[in-house]
Amino acid sequence: MDRIVRDIFSFGDRPFSERIGFVIFIVIVLAFPWIVESGYARAVMIKFLLFALFGLGWNLIGGYGGQVDLGQAKNVGFGAYATALMMSHWNTPFWLTIIPGMIVATAESFAVAYPMFRLRGHYFAIATLCVALAWKELFTFWDWTGGARGIELPIKPTPNFTYMEFGAIGYHYFIFGLFMMEFLFMNWFRKAKMGYELQAVRDNEDAAASLGINVTLTKVKAYCIAAALGALGGSFITVYYLYVDPDLVMPLDLSILIAMTVMVGGAGSIWGPIIGAAILIPLDMYLGAWLGGIGRYGIDFMIYALIIMIIAAREPRGIWGIIERARRRR
Amino acid sequence: MELATQLIVFGILMGLVFAFISLGLSLIFGVMNIVNFAHGEFLMVGMYVALLTSSYLPLDPLVSLPFAAAIGFLLGIVSYRFLIQHILRGPMVAQLFGTFGLMLFLRYLVMFIFGPDVHSISHGILIGKTISIGWVMLDASKVAAAGLCLLLFALVYWMINRTKLGRALRATSLDAEAARYMGIDTEKMNALAWGIGGATAGIAGVLLAHFYYITPTIGMVFIMIAFAIVALGGFGSISGAFLAGLIVGLIQVIAGQYLSELKFTFIYIAYFLAVVFRPRGLFGW
Amino acid sequence: MLLEVKNLVKEFGGVLANADISLEMEQGEIVGLIGPNGAGKTTLFNCIAGYHEPTGGKVFFEGEDITSWPAHRVAKIGIARTFQSMKIMPNLTVEENAMIGAFSRTGDRWVARSEARETLELVGLAKEASAYPTELPIATQKRIELARALATKPKLLMLDEVAAGLNPLETKEIIQILQLIKKEKDLTLFLTEHVMEFIMTISERVIVMAAGRKIAEGISEEVAREDKVIEAYLGERYAKGK
Repeated sequence: MDRIVRDIFSFGDRPFSERIGFVIFIVIVLAFPWIVESGYARAVMIKFLLFALFGLGWNLIGGYGGQVDLGQAKNVGFGAYATALMMSHWNTPFWLTIIPGMIVATAESFAVAYPMFRLRGHYFAIATLCVALAWKELFTFWDWTGGARGIELPIKPTPNFTYMEFGAIGYHYFIFGLFMMEFLFMNWFRKAKMGYELQAVRDNEDAAASLGINVTLTKVKAYCIAAALGALGGSFITVYYLYVDPDLVMPLDLSILIAMTVMVGGAGSIWGPIIGAAILIPLDMYLGAWLGGIGRYGIDFMIYALIIMIIAAREPRGIWGIIERARRRR
Repeated sequence: MELATQLIVFGILMGLVFAFISLGLSLIFGVMNIVNFAHGEFLMVGMYVALLTSSYLPLDPLVSLPFAAAIGFLLGIVSYRFLIQHILRGPMVAQLFGTFGLMLFLRYLVMFIFGPDVHSISHGILIGKTISIGWVMLDASKVAAAGLCLLLFALVYWMINRTKLGRALRATSLDAEAARYMGIDTEKMNALAWGIGGATAGIAGVLLAHFYYITPTIGMVFIMIAFAIVALGGFGSISGAFLAGLIVGLIQVIAGQYLSELKFTFIYIAYFLAVVFRPRGLFGW
Repeated sequence: MLLEVKNLVKEFGGVLANADISLEMEQGEIVGLIGPNGAGKTTLFNCIAGYHEPTGGKVFFEGEDITSWPAHRVAKIGIARTFQSMKIMPNLTVEENAMIGAFSRTGDRWVARSEARETLELVGLAKEASAYPTELPIATQKRIELARALATKPKLLMLDEVAAGLNPLETKEIIQILQLIKKEKDLTLFLTEHVMEFIMTISERVIVMAAGRKIAEGISEEVAREDKVIEAYLGERYAKGK
């Protein structure tokens, strides 16, 4: 048991520089709301942590699993809507709503995973797109989910721990807490048997099978876990915005963003999601917002797209891949 | 009865247009095994060419057809030389997000230049006119588009199957290395495939601009339709894309009539069922 | 009887890759499988190891019918295999590659690591444990595959052209390693190979295949001199001319 605990918290296999870097990162994030007063900066930080959270979940199937999933938004939607529906209809406390969301995401993923994993590469990626888009259309179409108008949640006096409503500082620590939970889970996962088997499947399916690994089952498991993690992030969105609608929580752009963020940062590495989000979110929120304010939209994503294309051509393992390559040269 | 005929004819017309849209995608995939996620954006660029022609010049948008074709062709070639060429040798994941990056880049470039607003073309020879054949009433723009698409589809088909250049393309798609041994410049073939893909997309865009809204994000709509068609027709099969296009056109129109909020869901389901149960396409080879 | 193959047939859309193959193997043997290119050796391997489903016939391992078993199940009951084309995991270190094999027998990564280290020691890769396979030469990479397969604690180890691409010195090294691990781990070895000297040196018994059929079987030196075998490799003229 204590070995598992040790696995969750230890980074012994990573070099000292990384460990120190991570500690510094944590300290900065913890101290952030007290150092920075700007409401906007705080919102940027929260969004960064949220996308790092999404990235962690995606990294499991896309990075460690090597399966490019372009439909993560559906899982975000499942979590978000579960929370929204339960809180608005039955006044369910937040922490009880995340379980149904994760269960729905896992169950749906399990159902589609077996047929989908008959596909490889592009075909698989497009299939994940189709599934996610279909769900978004359904959620827009259904009345009980509020249709295109979505669901609004009542504002309660803050801080409220039952329904997890806070001011900006509260949300900051809330999302950071979720992020750390998932991060530590991934730290355990990548060193556990499941993590190794998943990577073995990613690197060479035939060889993995020759070593006793059930390739399809491994992929399905990873896909379902990633779905559950995505749903968790979705639940957060609901209580943060106090509002959900299909365009907010299930759009195609969200799926693409989550996937691309991790790929740019470095899919398959523990730091990738953090790096990717650290680049994209400030780019979007500062450059994009500034230019949007003067009526010029899109340059932030243009820059981002350029980064994606350069990385695809030069170092598909992302920014972290570049760092590791430089390190190995020394 | 009248409604049924109307729907079927309309479905076939749209099917012809859709088939032509997916031609470029199928060709690129056939020649070098890459799925061009930016294909929808090439279409979108074509649509904007038509928009600009009709808004800023006192010319009918149809006049922009050759320009859109040229711009599309150039766009394809440039994309190939500057990006695709470099990711071809990489892992499939890199190819995937490489063309994804291209898609995002084109989309937001257009948004940056023209803004995110939605436009439509209001004057032109074909706008707002209808043709009646028997009891069936059809938009002139759609009839013309379908006719032109059929013609161009046949043209490309002829080029691929009956000309020396087409043979070189086919050789490259069957076995690039062997083609090189035969003296075929496969790099040129690849670039050409992208050029043709871009050109057909540009032309299709001009036609689509007559009856779809024009906005930077419209590309996504068409790419999903194109995926479904290429999947049903068999990735890489031109004739398969034709028949699959007709089927998807019919599905779209009929679903649009009865369950219009879900009409794309049927397309997504079609793709899904096609690739999972008939990976070689409905006309499987 | 460790392994028994009865009348195995494998057809690929009209092409008969394996036609009516039968063979037997006892625990502790070293059996070679030779034949010219296209004889169907790798297909036979794949049928036994669960990568292809045989069109006909049966495969028994320790009495159990494993004919339709998928590859991962076959691995779990004690048949390990290596591949003709390198199938190492490039994004994992040498040690981690071996650990994957060990994980088939344990869920504990510390146990897996020590098992992996042991097999690496056995094949002489202990020093390269933290290197990445792509940094190492081919001959070394082959040993990674060996270590990895060994870590699954197999009873039968099937080696598909393990000496392919190796120079004579490297081939000798591999033979020594194979003999060592066979002894240490009490294995049965089933090898296919092109390189004659290799197979003849290491195998006790040899099976010859040509055009999808088994054409000869017996002690290495005797089989090599059989007309049918020479004919299969070199053509009728050489056989007659002898």
